[in-house]
Amino acid sequence: MFGYYVKLALRSLRRNPGISALMVMAIALGIAVCVMTLTVYHGMSSNPIWWKNDRLYAITLDSWDAEEPANEERPELPPPQLTYRDAEAVTSTAIAARSVRMMRTGGVLSSAEAASDVLPERALLRVTTAGFFGMFDVPFAHGGGWQAAADTGPEPVIVLSKAMNEHFFAGANSVGRTLRWNDREFRVVGVLEDWHPSPKFYDLNNGSFDDPEDAYVPFGWLPALELDSVGNTNCWKPEQRESYLDFLNSECVWVQAWVELPDAATRVRMQEYLDGYVNEQRSSGRFARPDNNRLTPVDQWLADNDVVRNDNRMLVAMAFAFLSVCLINTVGLLLAKFLGGATITGIRRALGASRRQIFLQLLTEAGMLAAVGATAGLVLASLGLLGLRAMYATGSSGFRTVMYIDVWSVAMAVALAVVSALAAGLYPAWRVGRLAPAVYLKS
Amino acid sequence: MVMSDIRPVLSALLRNRTGAILVSLQVAIALAVLVNAIYIVKQRVDLIGRPTGMDVANVFTVISSGFTQDHDRLAAARNDLAWLRSQPGVVAATRTNAIPLSGGGSSTGIRSEPDAPNDKTVAINYFEVDEGGLETFGVQLVAGRNFRAEEIMPPDPNRSQAPPVAIITKSVARELFGTTDAVGKVAYDYLNRPTTIVGVIEHMHGSWVSWDRVDQVALLPMTPAFGGDNLYLVRAAPGARDELMRKAEEYLATSDPTRMVRGVRALEYYRDRSYLSDRNMAIFLVSVTALLAGVTALGIFALATFNVNVRTRQIGTRRAIGARRADIVRYFMVENWLVTTGGVLLGVALAFGVGYWLSTQYELPRLDLYYLLGGVLLLWALGLAAAWQPSRRAARISPSVATRTV
Repeated sequence: MFGYYVKLALRSLRRNPGISALMVMAIALGIAVCVMTLTVYHGMSSNPIWWKNDRLYAITLDSWDAEEPANEERPELPPPQLTYRDAEAVTSTAIAARSVRMMRTGGVLSSAEAASDVLPERALLRVTTAGFFGMFDVPFAHGGGWQAAADTGPEPVIVLSKAMNEHFFAGANSVGRTLRWNDREFRVVGVLEDWHPSPKFYDLNNGSFDDPEDAYVPFGWLPALELDSVGNTNCWKPEQRESYLDFLNSECVWVQAWVELPDAATRVRMQEYLDGYVNEQRSSGRFARPDNNRLTPVDQWLADNDVVRNDNRMLVAMAFAFLSVCLINTVGLLLAKFLGGATITGIRRALGASRRQIFLQLLTEAGMLAAVGATAGLVLASLGLLGLRAMYATGSSGFRTVMYIDVWSVAMAVALAVVSALAAGLYPAWRVGRLAPAVYLKS
Repeated sequence: MVMSDIRPVLSALLRNRTGAILVSLQVAIALAVLVNAIYIVKQRVDLIGRPTGMDVANVFTVISSGFTQDHDRLAAARNDLAWLRSQPGVVAATRTNAIPLSGGGSSTGIRSEPDAPNDKTVAINYFEVDEGGLETFGVQLVAGRNFRAEEIMPPDPNRSQAPPVAIITKSVARELFGTTDAVGKVAYDYLNRPTTIVGVIEHMHGSWVSWDRVDQVALLPMTPAFGGDNLYLVRAAPGARDELMRKAEEYLATSDPTRMVRGVRALEYYRDRSYLSDRNMAIFLVSVTALLAGVTALGIFALATFNVNVRTRQIGTRRAIGARRADIVRYFMVENWLVTTGGVLLGVALAFGVGYWLSTQYELPRLDLYYLLGGVLLLWALGLAAAWQPSRRAARISPSVATRTV
């Protein structure tokens, strides 16, 4: 029966090619705009490490000024980063399966070989502890991370991104070779695969869609080399500083800390540990604000840091308003078309087709329009996203990675096609099915 | 005349209302979306077009990153600036700690009284510059004087001293002292260390274009100490920028093997990058709005065409009993005008609703009535234009049609 409906629908659609094309175009445009905005929205709000959402937690403590919150617009949130000493304290407990403290710095990487003709490269480096790679499931092409002992030494070891390894070692396995960071030689212990988590969930405070760093070095180099952060450093307390050590001991927040907690019990113990630490610090006059020590899972961390912006929400709302206009348009055209073809419907009714059969057949016709429209809409959406990527060519590359049609976009288009077929077809099919056949057979 | 036309059209419409209601709905949603979208576009265009106070078109940046142990950052800065300033076509150059409009920079709080509370502290976005800073930015000094060469402080990573003098924008002066006449007045930093204001700038944008206090800027006579780089800003004579950027990159990259030169970029690059999402939002909204207007016009056109088609005999009959072509055209134009107007009335209410929702949800300013009026006129015009061709076609129907298919 369905095959017969499809055949009838095809014949009917061919009868008015102009109107059919108009309806397909309206549905295609509506779905294209929706799929575009939804794809970007979904990409921006997605959790790039969803499989560890119940294990990974960002640590934040409210060490801010007693008189005002760190963020006036979100007064309930503690500052997004930690002071150097707090980061050290909260990641020095054995409660967590893994813990990481880190920040981003910059420098020049250059070849350690005297006769090398490879040009030096300005690089961003993540200064982090050994747990980073296992905690965030960072994929290695060669070698691996470093041992925890290398953090405290600190040992001159370095992990390179795939791109940096291409640049300095032409993509070869460079484990064991040396590279210079500023004026110091470092031994390569690992080379990463392509790794572009987007959004860059582990450091949302310094560019949600920034590229991952070019290289990784042990955290102990931070105090040893008196490194500056390439990223946000926020201070609230008037403090006279005489040295870098004073800065490390200051109330400025600029270090990030994460822990991996395998189950609810360790999470409770970790929370108790944080609360205990903060209470103990109060005795030395710190933490004047009420307790606000947080272990935030990745999903919540993305929401707290406003990764998806209001503009994206407005665009999704607008896209659906646009789709609704396109669908109302199609309802009008379908109704006109069905009423125009009512003589044929009348004959079919007179020959014994039931109202239900007429209704289903006309709905099939709407469904076919929606299917073709959704397919064309997907093509249009991928062209639109191509244009959008060109518009963001000078922006951060991580943002462009959310602008591709993926399985989710296709699923969205299929869902929208079903919604479109029902929204556009139900009323016209019902209305025409109700007509008394005799009226239309007369002429 | 027109009033007497409306009544029969309206009663005909009411008897066959589904198509008319559908088109009215389209018009209503289109109006609500269109007016609010264009209003948002206008705000973005205004934001991007704000005066920066600077000579943005002629300024470019150069970054020198030393990476060997024997690299002397201060000597490199002296040599680089001397070379840059000696080039024909260079108006001025300075070292600085941050690039205006780039999204990266430093801020601190100052106040007019020592120990003033937080809410009396004024946030300033500061730029550490030398005596060439004022002219490099191309900002206008409205009172006081520029820094003197001997006032520029040596690098001081721990900020153990406050700069004795500073230049501030009018907007900072107003916030601090309640007047723009600030020369000679004293401001205090977080450790209550005094700084005397020696100059006032008319207007200048700082680092963060989305900050609501982007014009609260101060220039400090300091040698940047943060990070391992030397950052230079260079202002070229009109037309000389691109050639100078090429020359500077070429010369500086080879003049000193202990460092690398990067980030030779026009200030326009940083500005455009900072406004990228605002610009793209505007482009996207305009594109979708245009499509929306197009789809709505097609809807009106299709309804008019359908109405003409089903009424061929009726029109022929009217023509046969004496209606002129102009009467037929008028009938269909009035019919469409009524449908569009119904949609517009509903759309005005809807536009207000959407505007109110946007203003509460996303803290946007309330919808401007002129935009609503513009949208109403646009949709009226669109409706009439879309109905014009079908109406003309109706008028060409011959009176003989009435007698043909009896």
